[in-house]
Amino acid sequence: MELAWYALLGLFFATYLVLGGYDYGVGLLLARGGSPAARRAALTALGPFFLGNEVWLVAAVGILFGAFPVLEGELLSGYYPAVLGALAGVVLVTAGVQLRSRPDGDRARSRWDRVVVAGSALAALGWGSLLAGLLQGLPMSAAGHAAGVTHLFTPFVAAAGLAMVALVAAHGATFLTLRLPEPDGATAARLARRLIPVALAAVGAATVVGLLSDRVRVGAQQPLVAVLLMSLLVTALLGARVALARRRPGLAFAATSAALALPVALVGAARWPWALVSGTDPVTGLAVADAAASAPTLSLLGWLTLPLVPALLGFQAMCWWIFRGRIDGRAPVYW
Amino acid sequence: MDTLLLARLQFATTTSIHFLFVVVTLGLVTLLVGMQTAGFLTGDPKWERLTRFWGQLYVINYVLGIATGIVMEFQFGLNWSGLSRYVGNVFGAPLAIETLLAFFLESTFLGMWIFGWHRLRRGLHLALLWGVAITAYASAFWIMVANSWLQNPVGYELRDGVAHLTDFGALLTNPTLGMAFGHVLAASLLTGGMLMAAVSARHLIRRTPDFALFRTSLRIGLVVAALAIAAVQGFGFAQFGPVGQVQPTKFGGGPGRDALVAEWTARFGPGDWTPPVLSSVGLGFMILIGLTLGCVWLLLPLLWRDAVIRLRFPLWLILFALPLPFVAVLLGWIAREVGRQPWAAYGLLPNSRAVSDVDAGLMLTSLVGFGLLLGALAVTNWVLLARHAARGAHDPALGRPPAPESDDFPRQPVLA
Repeated sequence: MELAWYALLGLFFATYLVLGGYDYGVGLLLARGGSPAARRAALTALGPFFLGNEVWLVAAVGILFGAFPVLEGELLSGYYPAVLGALAGVVLVTAGVQLRSRPDGDRARSRWDRVVVAGSALAALGWGSLLAGLLQGLPMSAAGHAAGVTHLFTPFVAAAGLAMVALVAAHGATFLTLRLPEPDGATAARLARRLIPVALAAVGAATVVGLLSDRVRVGAQQPLVAVLLMSLLVTALLGARVALARRRPGLAFAATSAALALPVALVGAARWPWALVSGTDPVTGLAVADAAASAPTLSLLGWLTLPLVPALLGFQAMCWWIFRGRIDGRAPVYW
Repeated sequence: MDTLLLARLQFATTTSIHFLFVVVTLGLVTLLVGMQTAGFLTGDPKWERLTRFWGQLYVINYVLGIATGIVMEFQFGLNWSGLSRYVGNVFGAPLAIETLLAFFLESTFLGMWIFGWHRLRRGLHLALLWGVAITAYASAFWIMVANSWLQNPVGYELRDGVAHLTDFGALLTNPTLGMAFGHVLAASLLTGGMLMAAVSARHLIRRTPDFALFRTSLRIGLVVAALAIAAVQGFGFAQFGPVGQVQPTKFGGGPGRDALVAEWTARFGPGDWTPPVLSSVGLGFMILIGLTLGCVWLLLPLLWRDAVIRLRFPLWLILFALPLPFVAVLLGWIAREVGRQPWAAYGLLPNSRAVSDVDAGLMLTSLVGFGLLLGALAVTNWVLLARHAARGAHDPALGRPPAPESDDFPRQPVLA
């Protein structure tokens, strides 16, 4: 029962990173400047999906609160700076994207675009740091509560945060390759092909720094799974690069999506059966089974929400289907 | 400054800003459903123009509702980890249900509605707005279930100091829920109706074009506000009985309060177990505003032969009354929330045990950071709302028809 909810939590957060990831990627790429029309086109490419993407985060935190209340309290307060940064980023992007085109002048819109760029960078840094922090462990007091926040300031957390920024940028460029009309799509494809090696290098650097850290080596309770998922991540990025070279943007997008979902699977699976590890040897922490809500709550949530999860996915899929394909003259422009 | 006070200030700030935007969201979406449905049924283009104009204001307003809502959701874990540790088994359930069954769908539908103009079949486009409205109401309901549980914890048993769910039905029949939910919905309709009437009044005062359009929305706004204020007063006064029974410390003295304070002192040790006076002062002002807004009924006879417009001074009255519903909802919320102090969950979990074990400096950073961020965004949002409201209904960006397709002009996005 706990495992099913833990998997569902992971699924929602991973989906958020995939979908929100291209929002932030497109947001970061606004930093390249470009004509006002080009920036507007990038936001139009996000268009109808944007609101539906951000809600995966809200739903993930809802599952976290409902099904793993103890974990929710310790995790959010224990990783306070990372969560704060990510949250500020999410708020800036949410407001920036939706409000940037409401003023008429190009200067006001450019100012809002800078807000979106800063927010996207903060969100990616924050979520990358949180995932890294989970892997390297959370020092706990004798009573089993998170203690202090300085544990977050390590080279591994910084490297992983930067790797996440590089990953979402590559993912965003790949998304634009799929969505922008030609010839802008081809320009985005060239950009994506340049960004994927950068992401690979950043992920590689984070891996090396992680392997050198005692706390990460202790935290990874299932080293085999960790190595397997890590190599899948690298394979996905290489695959995306090959697919872009062969002009298969759909495949490339699937591959970069996998690259954003895999870190969540890695952090979840590598520490199994722990939801939080202490980062000390021998490992203590909060086990997934102890972090879960008690049985009546889980069965209530199960009966009430699980039958409706297919409907949630169905309505999201309907949105993707209606607005599929490249944007064109019939694409509604609003953001 | 101690962490507890800072955490409480942050919660108060975020909730207040959130509440000012969500009442407008709930109120306007109801009116939008009415207008778009009328357009669908009659085919009169006036309704589509009204829906686009008010829909644009609704969508701008919605931004801050989400932004502050996300911060609120995270704040429970960031600043109030004791809440999830001790009562998360019960309190977390309605919040999880809200995010999954209500908010998730609301945003998904809204995204499709914004971008679905001229692209989806009209029936489907209308159904999406109905979906947005229904899920918005569901969202308000589950949030009120969660809040009512903090006001009056029910349906649980304590084992080792941790609350476990025993009876979910009790959460839904909580005496602090029903009337309060009706009160909040009616207050939202009142705010939405007043906003609509006031913006229309300003256009009619300035004699901008689109007289017919704003005449219609003035009438809708006034009638809705009048009906809503009656419901606000009814649901409001109806709460005194049940709330006074389950929360004797909320509205001041009496033997019930003294007995309860004595019991808490025995269970939790000596301390100040009564709420600050601030809450009941605010309540008094809120009731005054509520009674004043009841005067909307006096304007209804003036709708006959447009006297309300021809006399002009009623238009000014409506315009100047616009801040009143906003002040009233804030005061009402403060009365409900501050009146629950010093408890996170009334009589079960004191604030001091609910607050996170976070350094005061960090909490201050978070308070100042999010206070400035959300405050600045709120002000910017209101400025944008005011500008778009003043600009009039001739061509809102929402629902603007795309450029026609032609053979010698490839279909490129029109980006204006």
